[in-house]
Amino acid sequence: MRGAAAAMSGFSVEERAAPHSAEYRLFFKDAAGRYISPFHDIPIYADAGKNVFNMVVEVPRWTNAKMEIATKEPLNPIKQDVKKGKLRYVANVFPHKGYIWNYGAIPQTWEDPGHKDENTGCCGDNDPIDVCEIGSKVCSRGEVIRVKVLGTLALIDEGETDWKIIAINVEDPEADSYNDINDVRRMKPGYLEATVDWFRRYKVPDGKPENQFAFNEEFKDKDFAVNVIKSTHEHWKALIAKKTDGGEINCTNLTVSDSPFCCGQDCAKATVDAAPPCKAANPIPPEVDKWFYYEKN
Amino acid sequence: MRAPRGLSRLLLAARGWGRLGAMARYSTEQRGRPNSPDYRLYFKNADGKYISPFHDIPLLAASKEDKEIPAKRAKTTGSEVLYNMIVEVPRWTNAKMEIATEEPLNPIKQDIKKGKLRYVANIFPHKGYIWNYGALPQTWEDPNHTDTITGCCGDNDPIDVCEIGSKVRSSGEIVQVKVLGVLALVDEGETDWKIIAISVDDPEAHKIHDIDDVKKHKPGYLEATVDWFRLYKVPDDKPENRFAFNGEFKDKDFAAEIIKSTHEHWKALLHKKADGGTINCTNVLVSGSPFCCSEEDARSIVQSAPVHVNGGSVSPEVIIKVFWRCIIKS
Repeated sequence: MRGAAAAMSGFSVEERAAPHSAEYRLFFKDAAGRYISPFHDIPIYADAGKNVFNMVVEVPRWTNAKMEIATKEPLNPIKQDVKKGKLRYVANVFPHKGYIWNYGAIPQTWEDPGHKDENTGCCGDNDPIDVCEIGSKVCSRGEVIRVKVLGTLALIDEGETDWKIIAINVEDPEADSYNDINDVRRMKPGYLEATVDWFRRYKVPDGKPENQFAFNEEFKDKDFAVNVIKSTHEHWKALIAKKTDGGEINCTNLTVSDSPFCCGQDCAKATVDAAPPCKAANPIPPEVDKWFYYEKN
Repeated sequence: MRAPRGLSRLLLAARGWGRLGAMARYSTEQRGRPNSPDYRLYFKNADGKYISPFHDIPLLAASKEDKEIPAKRAKTTGSEVLYNMIVEVPRWTNAKMEIATEEPLNPIKQDIKKGKLRYVANIFPHKGYIWNYGALPQTWEDPNHTDTITGCCGDNDPIDVCEIGSKVRSSGEIVQVKVLGVLALVDEGETDWKIIAISVDDPEAHKIHDIDDVKKHKPGYLEATVDWFRLYKVPDDKPENRFAFNGEFKDKDFAAEIIKSTHEHWKALLHKKADGGTINCTNVLVSGSPFCCSEEDARSIVQSAPVHVNGGSVSPEVIIKVFWRCIIKS
């Protein structure tokens, strides 16, 4: 699977430690086998003219492990989120099973916590912008795919701006039929409603309140979404040029040559070599299979 | 499903042997390659004898035939009858695994349709099967008998169960369940009752005793169940299924009667009083059955199956569809 992914996008991954452990890391390599940061070194655009973006898949559809780009670690590998000392698994909120799309991020974007978004009235969540990829293939963790952006949902997650870009894998057999958000409504009825429902309720089993949305939970169209992405790209450019203070964000990169954080392959290799060797996956705890039921308000 | 050893066995006995008895009593043996047409899952009892899950596992858990359950165990469950359930399809999976009713010793295998391994589609928003799915042993929906309620003949299979507990079970697992109710599906014109049940070990089992408790504690689950059965064959170009009682669920007492009736049909089958057609009634433990065979015969049946080979993953050509309902524009 990893070899096939490399052929398509040119990027490949290297696992360290056991999946479903706190030590697990998924490092990224470019086509030449050099270690890179998926946050900073994968280009935002696959085809700027056609609004085709690169997407780093963090969570395959229907899985629960909350895997994310480690924004505070050098080379920003993918790792599993830990909360209150425990590995985080997203709950199954009936009728949903795990994540209901391939979920991930667009590289070279950043939702700046120092910037209040004029649409949501909230500050950014300090992460690259999130993507829900709606194609039929279940992607692999760490896969880099090219996506057509279709629209966006303005989630306010625990009081922070957290845009969710809706996109489709250009390789999807039906990709040509998807050009804007209405195509999703037409071809996959119920999917957008399920998406709102999912984001509204997904933290309730953890004792958090329901989330809220801007724009009355409406999805904005492709043009709007592309503008949001562009704006987070500008924030990222300022971050990587050290014009904005990124706090704990690790901006180590290999390819942004005028960035003060640019480093060489030796440095990158040392980071990866320090990680424990790859091991067989730990089992997922059976509690992760619980299905949570709530009355919708 | 291996029997626990030594200290853990003692601890289990101390905790109430009966509850975990099902797990310790039965085990499975894989033959052939997983995700292939030759894959088979054979069953063995606690004595290591090969058995038929269809015929040799008692319908009732903690029954007279179940000698390993101490007498006091039956009291702890009060008036709730416990049944043994054979899990065929784990929740959230797609491979259509079933008891091979026409093969000797009735192992579990993957259904094949039009020459291809069968995988049930994902009916949005559902992913695969939405319960642990399987069958009650020692039951049979007789195709020569027209059900008075549905007006249709039986589907020639043991009665089906949807187990609604939180744990995702494994194919071949034997689970002790409480019956809560039943749905009267008419699948491609055949009677196909769906028993709704919950594992007696489920953390919420103490709150769930009848079909109304399911509505209370798992709102939307029963509606999703009807929805699933109505649509699950549409991706294969079959029509939507129908139901008796307008898709209403009947309660546990009603379900118990249905189960009893399919158990009677099975008894007739095993004693050659009903025509089973191509059903294979080979069994090891049903005393008085003309189809009873010896331990050695059972062993040769299993040993003639291809040797177990590891690591059969789902073939990449298999694309399990997500089925989207069409908006009907008025």
